[in-house]
Amino acid sequence: MKTLKEMITEARQVVPEESPEQVQRRIKSREPLAVIDVRDPDEYRDGHIEGSTNISRGFLEFRVAGAVADPTTPVVLYCQTGLRSVLAAKVLKELGYQNVINLGGGYQKWAQSGLPTVRDMPLTADQIQRYSRHFLLNQVGEKGQRRLLRSKVLLIGAGGLGSATAFYLAAAGVGTLGVMDGDVVDITNLQRQILHTTADIGKPKVESATRTLKALNPDVNIIPLATRITVDNVMDIIKDYDLIVDGSDNFETRYLMNDACYLAGKTNIHGSIFQFEGMATVFAPNEGPCYRCLYPTPPPPGLVPS
Amino acid sequence: MLPGVVGTIQATEAVKVLLGIGEPLVGRLLTYDALGMRFREVKLRRDPNCPLCGTSPTIKDLSIHMTGGAACEATPAGHAG
Repeated sequence: MKTLKEMITEARQVVPEESPEQVQRRIKSREPLAVIDVRDPDEYRDGHIEGSTNISRGFLEFRVAGAVADPTTPVVLYCQTGLRSVLAAKVLKELGYQNVINLGGGYQKWAQSGLPTVRDMPLTADQIQRYSRHFLLNQVGEKGQRRLLRSKVLLIGAGGLGSATAFYLAAAGVGTLGVMDGDVVDITNLQRQILHTTADIGKPKVESATRTLKALNPDVNIIPLATRITVDNVMDIIKDYDLIVDGSDNFETRYLMNDACYLAGKTNIHGSIFQFEGMATVFAPNEGPCYRCLYPTPPPPGLVPS
Repeated sequence: MLPGVVGTIQATEAVKVLLGIGEPLVGRLLTYDALGMRFREVKLRRDPNCPLCGTSPTIKDLSIHMTGGAACEATPAGHAG
């Protein structure tokens, strides 16, 4: 009969181990990676690595395929100290996962190294009902919903584009929405800017936006920013957000947002419309092109980029 | 109605990026023609000569946006928000 010590030694021979810092680098590189916490759910709730999936050791063989579809995807396993997870990792290798890594020292060492951890806030009964349709989607689930509730998105403009974006992001439960617009509601806005109503004419757009969005979903923290985005305030404002959605109506702002987001390393969800045409793309710093790769300088007046 | 379509696409992309799911429109420009009711996709490549994100960038801060900078001499009546 094998002793536990022998089993662990055996597992260590086939499973490479990485330090918390090495695993953190993998997570930050945003390359394909699955991080699985094999501890029990109560341990996971008390604190875990952000983005990790909790599959208790006992359920690992049954549920791993749901979490990691591609057997070539690197999988990092961790438990509290790195022992349960090394045994679990050996099983994954036997199942055919080619690139399984054990987090040496486990969650304990991760937390002691001062690396970021997250703790699940219990969802309220209302939240469980409100987002129940999200829970049915494999790619979202309760974990995704918690992440949305923790997320902070800045909307540049509460006009035509921003109205639709804000409505849906608030409905979906994105926890913090910064709404930036220096304009007041004009009657000519109302045929397309659905955040605002006839009674709002003459009032700041961020005021009506806040009221409408709060009424839709009181969970969402709306931060009204009743000013134009400028070269002087942009860096200070965007630093607090995970993501920027540019729904601005002029080239000056688009170039400013493009440059500021790139320099700050923030992803910028770009959209624009002209008459009956619209376009959308995502500028992710260093992952894809930026607005200046498309248009190094502003296009001549009237030209519709396509 | 048109801004609703594009704004909703932006919201969808925002959620995908936040959750790290699916294939966001990185390196792809999605265009929407409401009259023809057609979506098209244009592949976008990074420009190695891009003054911002190219191999030897000339834009390293936001000074280009200070008063009267060359970032945008004209504000044409183009795409609206």
